[in-house]
Amino acid sequence: MKIICVIPAWNEEKNISSVITAVKKQIPEVVVVDDGSQDNTSEQARQSGATVLKHIINRGQGAALQTGNEYALTKKADIIVHFDADGQFLSREIPEIIKPLRKQEVDIVFGSRFLEKKSHLPFSKKYFLLPLARLVNKFVLRVDLTDPQSGFRALSSRAAKAITIEQDGMAHCSEIIYKAFQKKLKFQEVPITVIYHNFGQKLGGGIKILKDLLFAKLMN
Amino acid sequence: MTQQIIALIIICFFLSRLLWQKQKKQISGGEFVFWFFFWMLAAAAIISIKWIDQLLAQLGFSGSGIEMLFYLAVIILFYLIFKIRIRQEKQEKEITRLTRQIALKNKKKNHVKR
Repeated sequence: MKIICVIPAWNEEKNISSVITAVKKQIPEVVVVDDGSQDNTSEQARQSGATVLKHIINRGQGAALQTGNEYALTKKADIIVHFDADGQFLSREIPEIIKPLRKQEVDIVFGSRFLEKKSHLPFSKKYFLLPLARLVNKFVLRVDLTDPQSGFRALSSRAAKAITIEQDGMAHCSEIIYKAFQKKLKFQEVPITVIYHNFGQKLGGGIKILKDLLFAKLMN
Repeated sequence: MTQQIIALIIICFFLSRLLWQKQKKQISGGEFVFWFFFWMLAAAAIISIKWIDQLLAQLGFSGSGIEMLFYLAVIILFYLIFKIRIRQEKQEKEITRLTRQIALKNKKKNHVKR
């Protein structure tokens, strides 16, 4: 089975090399979508052995993931893994994420921070932002998963063809879940660990996601 | 009366700006026609404000004509913002598509070169 890991990256020259090196131990084929970085992200990624696709301007993580998906599909990937460039996911958990896809039991696997494994989530995220996101997913998009905004996931080629990511920004997480439900794709949640550094979605980012989702819902 | 004159002067200013922009070819023909009719309609509404007052009273509204025009203006503004937002969203999507095509095409080109 051909597996490609897609890593969207924006100004991640400090982390990208170590992330690629770690991921390559699990998946030899890594594609970094440099989303208009102004630093040396592309160079670092290339030197670390990744295939680099370069967005000439910054379009957002969702846009970068779709570019990666399209590239991976042209390379005849059977499984596409989405992984973050900031080093907050554990590459050793990749085999767990792709296991249900290897067995062809499901079409898409979502990593979840709220199953067995314990991620040390920041207080605001754990008790405010993520519960709020879960409510939005449940009542606006009518989907219900334990983790509404996880960026660690794996898709079969069938799922990647069925789901076109149209949300350029961070709302793509909810969009992918919504479309997986809508297209009746078989999915599974797998526990993952997330290591939080001093970044991630803040309240402003959460409001933007909500605004993007509501506007998209209004448009459709 | 004074307020009407001030409003008409403002409209005249915008009409002159519009004509100037048309002359400098800064706006398209369609846009010129739209805004020309918009300002002419606004001027007509200002001139016939007393008639609008009477009409509204006959229809059973308690507000004056100028209040109604104000409400109407707010509604139109909201509508225009919504239209602009839709257009902006469409353009954003097109920019993303273009950026993606360039990224994929460049990759293909580099691959062929090697």
